[in-house]
Amino acid sequence: MLNKYFALIRMKWVEMFEYRAESVIWILGALTQPLVTLAVWLGVSDGGEIQGFSPNHFILYFACLIFVERMTTAWDVWDLDREIRQGTFSFPLLRPLHPIHWGIAENIVYKVFFLSILLPIWIVAAFFIEPLRLALSPLEWVAFLIAVLFGLAIRFLMGWCVGLLGFWVSRVVAIYSVVEGISLFFSGRIAPLSIMPPTIQKIGEILPFSYILYFPVEILMGGVTLERLVTGMIGQVVWIGILYGVFHFLWKAGLKAYSAAGG
Amino acid sequence: MKKNMKVLIEFFRACMVEELEYRTNFFGNMLTSLFWIVIAVLTVDVFFNQTNQLGGWSYYEVLVLLGVFNTINGFIEFALRQNMARIVDHIRKGTLDYVLTKPVDSQFFVSFRHLVFWRLADIFWGCALIVYALAKLGRWPSVLDFVLFLILLLAAMVLVYSIWMILMTTSFWFVKIENLSFIFSSFFETTRFPVQVYKGWLRILLTFILPAAFMTSVPSAALTGKWDVATTVIALLVALGFFVVSRVFWKVALKSYTSASS
Repeated sequence: MLNKYFALIRMKWVEMFEYRAESVIWILGALTQPLVTLAVWLGVSDGGEIQGFSPNHFILYFACLIFVERMTTAWDVWDLDREIRQGTFSFPLLRPLHPIHWGIAENIVYKVFFLSILLPIWIVAAFFIEPLRLALSPLEWVAFLIAVLFGLAIRFLMGWCVGLLGFWVSRVVAIYSVVEGISLFFSGRIAPLSIMPPTIQKIGEILPFSYILYFPVEILMGGVTLERLVTGMIGQVVWIGILYGVFHFLWKAGLKAYSAAGG
Repeated sequence: MKKNMKVLIEFFRACMVEELEYRTNFFGNMLTSLFWIVIAVLTVDVFFNQTNQLGGWSYYEVLVLLGVFNTINGFIEFALRQNMARIVDHIRKGTLDYVLTKPVDSQFFVSFRHLVFWRLADIFWGCALIVYALAKLGRWPSVLDFVLFLILLLAAMVLVYSIWMILMTTSFWFVKIENLSFIFSSFFETTRFPVQVYKGWLRILLTFILPAAFMTSVPSAALTGKWDVATTVIALLVALGFFVVSRVFWKVALKSYTSASS
């Protein structure tokens, strides 16, 4: 299995290198929305604090957000939509490995690439921007790493679940963009969840979105309590379990629907 | 001018026929468009949960601006995005040759050949939001305010078009740069909020170097009666200036164009 993965990763690596210019632009494009939001928050706080968030906190928060957002991003829904609609999904199905492994390999390759760009930028930026200098304990670093991986797993599975709906409906991309639109508020992209209205916070604790972005960001900002760490991780694991179950079910049912349509 | 109008109407007709093939999508598109404007309003709500003004703009004034943003964005998606994306293709594949042999102005042709009708939904909801916010403000614009608004809105669209066109024209020399549209969209995102929200060098950048302020903030201010003569004149001059530059730049670029095949 490991050998197969190495082969997959090598292939995807070569593929990605062909499109590295686009990949860089892709990273840059993900910056605008959080940076504009940050600028508005800095304008709103006007040097003061908003519910415990100083301008420096906001800067650190949105920097963390950009980083975690890029490291957890998933794009399989667009590929699945196109391949299922055009019928080319038959090719990956014929291969001996489950198509999701190709997705995972691709994800590893791109995330390494993103990391190799974002990490140096962060280090250089930290020289000039004081709030970006992180002081986490080793335990917090480990927790952060795990939380990002779990967050990535949630987002990745969510993309696959919506993408697999393509076996039955033709507008999965539209469905996914609605999900993304709703997630804006609960994932912490517009504002840290702690300064959102209490109802939003409550719903946010139940929905999967805060476990993708807000929870890892919280850890990276430092000073998270052990209790929060534990409850957050439990939330992440529960959502991975649920989504994996849904994925498994949709896959089985979808293949039946697909072969029926093809035959 | 008269000929261009006739050609434009032809483009309209051709695209409309194309669009009507997929008319079942109409309802879904209207809903998608409504969904995104609701999300945008809720985003503004999040900020106003913590403050009662953004850069000196009250809640409903910001909503007016958001309506203007949506309207201009609708215009971009309706008339510009498709065409701008195709310019790079025309140049790379050499199909610009066919455009050049047509008896119409080439810049006009590449700019408006393809229209995406359902994006007019964005303009519809944008205008609806403007009317709603103005009603809530309780101060209807005077005739002068409204006329100025229309002129400034037109200037904003000319400005958006010109900047984008200038960006795309660089693809004559740097054919490999894809996603030039993307750079423009990222920049346009900043006009979602009043320019006064941005502090320090960022506001200076967005006013004097990249004229974002003239795209949504200035027209919206006219609608709420907060215009002044100097800003209006500058807005018109900036739009005119950028348009002339885009025009000259296109002509210069054409001179250096040597098809893909030769």
